[in-house]
Amino acid sequence: MTQDVPFAAVINARPEVVFDALTEQDGQEAFYGEPGWTVESECDLRVGGVWTVTFGPSRDEVYRHDHVFRVIDRPRRLVLDTSERRPDGSIVEYETEFTFEARDGKTLMTMIHRGLPTAELREEHLTGAAGGFARVQQAIEGSPRCS
Amino acid sequence: MHYNATLDRTFFALSDPTRRGILERLGRGPATIGDLAQPLGLTLNGVKKHVGILEEVDLVVTAKVGRARECRLGPAQLEDATEWIDDYRRTWRRRLDRFGSYVETRDAGR
Repeated sequence: MTQDVPFAAVINARPEVVFDALTEQDGQEAFYGEPGWTVESECDLRVGGVWTVTFGPSRDEVYRHDHVFRVIDRPRRLVLDTSERRPDGSIVEYETEFTFEARDGKTLMTMIHRGLPTAELREEHLTGAAGGFARVQQAIEGSPRCS
Repeated sequence: MHYNATLDRTFFALSDPTRRGILERLGRGPATIGDLAQPLGLTLNGVKKHVGILEEVDLVVTAKVGRARECRLGPAQLEDATEWIDDYRRTWRRRLDRFGSYVETRDAGR
C-alpha cells in the first residue's frame, strides 16, 4: 500500500509564471542547486518527452533525475514518471505531480510523490511537519525556457 | 545517507499495518505466535508469514520455548530509516523553498 507524500508552497506570482519557471534552466538551478552545486537541465516539454536533471556538489558526486512527462496542462498541472539515481548507484522510482492553483493573485504550488517504496510510513512522518517557506533572495533574470 | 537494500526491506517490513501491530504488541513483551494471532484475527500461518518478514530485518527474533515459538523485539535499529525520512523531507522542502524564492524575486524584478 502506498500513500501520497505532499509538499506545498504559496508563491507570490501567477500560476503561469510559476509553471514556466519550473521548466527553465534557471528555475531548475534554484530548485536543485545547493550553494556551490552545479545543475544541468535538459527538458523536452511534450507528453512522452524526457526531462533530465543532473546535479551535485562535484562531478564525482552526481544525482540524476530522469522525468518522463505524462501530463502537461499549463499552467495547472504536470505529471511525471521520475527515476532518481543517487551517487551510490541506487535508484528510486516514483510519480511526481505538480499542481499550480491560483490563490488571490498568488499560486498554491503542490508537489506530490506517489509510489515511493515506503510512502505509507513516510506519510506518518511528513504529515504535520511545519510549513514555513522561507523568503530568500537572489534575482535571476532573463532565463531561457528549456527546449 | 544511502538508500540500500537493507533499508528498503526494513521500510517494506514496516509498511504493513498488521506487522506494525505485531511490533506494538511485542513492545509490551514477548508473545507466542498464538498470542499474536488471536487479537489480530489471523491464522497461525498468517502470523508466521508476517513474523518471518520482520525477522528477516531483525525487527523480531523468535525462539522455540517448549512447544510454542516465542517472539520478541529484535536488535534492529531504526535510526537509519528515520534518518533517511528526515533527510528526504528536509531536502525536498528546501528545494521548494528555493524555487519559490527564485520565482518571487524574478517576478518582482520584471
